[in-house]
Amino acid sequence: MANAAFLRHVAIGRYIPTDSLVHRLDPRTKLLALALLVAAAVVAADYINSVFVLFATVVVVVLARLPAGQAVAAVRSVLPLVAILAVLQLLVGGRGATAGGTQLLSWGFIRVTSSSVQLVIVLTLRLISLVILAGLLTSTTTPGALTMGVERLLRPFGALGLPSHEIALMGAIALRFLPILGEQMEAIVLAQDARGVGQPAGRWRVLANAQRMAALVVPLFADVYRRAEEMAMAMLARCYRGGRGRTSLYELRYRPADAGAFAFALLVLGGAIVLGTAGVP
Amino acid sequence: MSEALVTIRHLSHTYLAGTLLAEEALCDASLDVARGEIAALIGAGGAGKSTLAHFLNGLLRPVERGRVVAFGQDLAVHNVDLAALRRRVGLVFQYPHQQLFERFVGDDVAYGPCQLGLPRDEVRERVRVAMEQVGLPFEAFKDRQTFALSGGEQRRAALAGVLALRPELLVLDEATTGLDPRGRREVHDLLRRLRDDEGVSVLVISNDMDEVAELAERVTVLFEGRTVLAGEVHEVLSQHEALAEAGLGLPTVGEVVRALADAGITLPGRPITAREAEEALWQTLRS
Repeated sequence: MANAAFLRHVAIGRYIPTDSLVHRLDPRTKLLALALLVAAAVVAADYINSVFVLFATVVVVVLARLPAGQAVAAVRSVLPLVAILAVLQLLVGGRGATAGGTQLLSWGFIRVTSSSVQLVIVLTLRLISLVILAGLLTSTTTPGALTMGVERLLRPFGALGLPSHEIALMGAIALRFLPILGEQMEAIVLAQDARGVGQPAGRWRVLANAQRMAALVVPLFADVYRRAEEMAMAMLARCYRGGRGRTSLYELRYRPADAGAFAFALLVLGGAIVLGTAGVP
Repeated sequence: MSEALVTIRHLSHTYLAGTLLAEEALCDASLDVARGEIAALIGAGGAGKSTLAHFLNGLLRPVERGRVVAFGQDLAVHNVDLAALRRRVGLVFQYPHQQLFERFVGDDVAYGPCQLGLPRDEVRERVRVAMEQVGLPFEAFKDRQTFALSGGEQRRAALAGVLALRPELLVLDEATTGLDPRGRREVHDLLRRLRDDEGVSVLVISNDMDEVAELAERVTVLFEGRTVLAGEVHEVLSQHEALAEAGLGLPTVGEVVRALADAGITLPGRPITAREAEEALWQTLRS
């Protein structure tokens, strides 16, 4: 690991304060708009609307003034997964759900059809959109704002006995722990490196790295449990008693920009649906 | 000065350079460690001490301005033999719980020697010696769980894990924080013994001025990523104003000597430790 700060870096969706239009939106708006955009990405099943959704996603990244490198890095980190999925789908998909279309190649149990090729490409575009979208929310919203948004959105369900505050808090803590996990992992990697392991080299490198990852898991979890316990103690020590009767310093308020964001998200979803039906032969 | 082990000149380093989270940790840091000395690197919190320490064995590499030469190797060169360097520079990190990663103490101390590919008996012998050196009896502690150790025991175990590598230069990042006074004295004695008997050079990273006065022969002061003072320990630790500017203070004894000087009683020889002060006081009282 030439530069272990890398581990902290790839934690997708760390808050990046650029104070853009997107940053200033109400967290509730962002949550709902994200849901709409994710729906659009899932609905898009053709080339044209997949590209359309990806384009819309990139527009949001630009509007949020997030560094392009960040989004590229996030996509790069899931590329191996995407590649494996794509290859599997391409090789065996032709026999199953995507058996339609013209047959392009047939060899043994492998059967590649035009519709499985389309599915693979759409799937790849969709995954890339989803990965970028996933990072968008947390890199433009502080954990505090996010918690408040979730809490307010869930509040109507309180009548049904849903503990909205607790759920939101759990989410916020989970988010808070991500960079801590990254840092912790970095520390352990450094400690292992410092005690004589250089960069593993040669043909067994993959194996050596896998072994190292395994060696990371135990101390990592031991530390997480310790931290969780300490945190619970600290909360109790400060008389934490849940959300009942709690007020907050900053109240959430919808503003005109929020209406614009909703309109944008609905437009993208509508576009994905319309373009899809229009594109079907 | 005798043979230089590590020479760092005008080093700068920025974490996550090129991103919005970029953080400048070092901007003009210089450091020397000579063979057979006990040196100290001091500085207030966030001065960049730990970052600088990570350069010493190539955990970080010079990517920006500056030069790091360790054991005759310029670390800017691409094909540095890092494994060899890390065998010679033993780094004990700041937080012991972050550097113990095996389940049992014995296994953790053995990690380094195993990585060296030593035969089993040799590994076992090294682990035994290292654990005894830090005051963790081998038989009693080798099968204890690392995560169940007390803070002080974890520190000792972490130190043993590095000692088992038999480094030529031992770097301790706040290695006695959290130890009780006796544990601290034991570690200090151990460091002196390692230096006197085995010729190990030591770099102590600390912001405990008393510890530095007690242990070090030469001191480098870091402030906001910059080396602001460096020199012989008495010389550096008597510069009250410069130290205060760097967010540090005098050692306790230094404060007393200064108060005495303000009251018109000047002690000979700039004492910084209790023993030196005692001697100086006797001299002054006798004359």
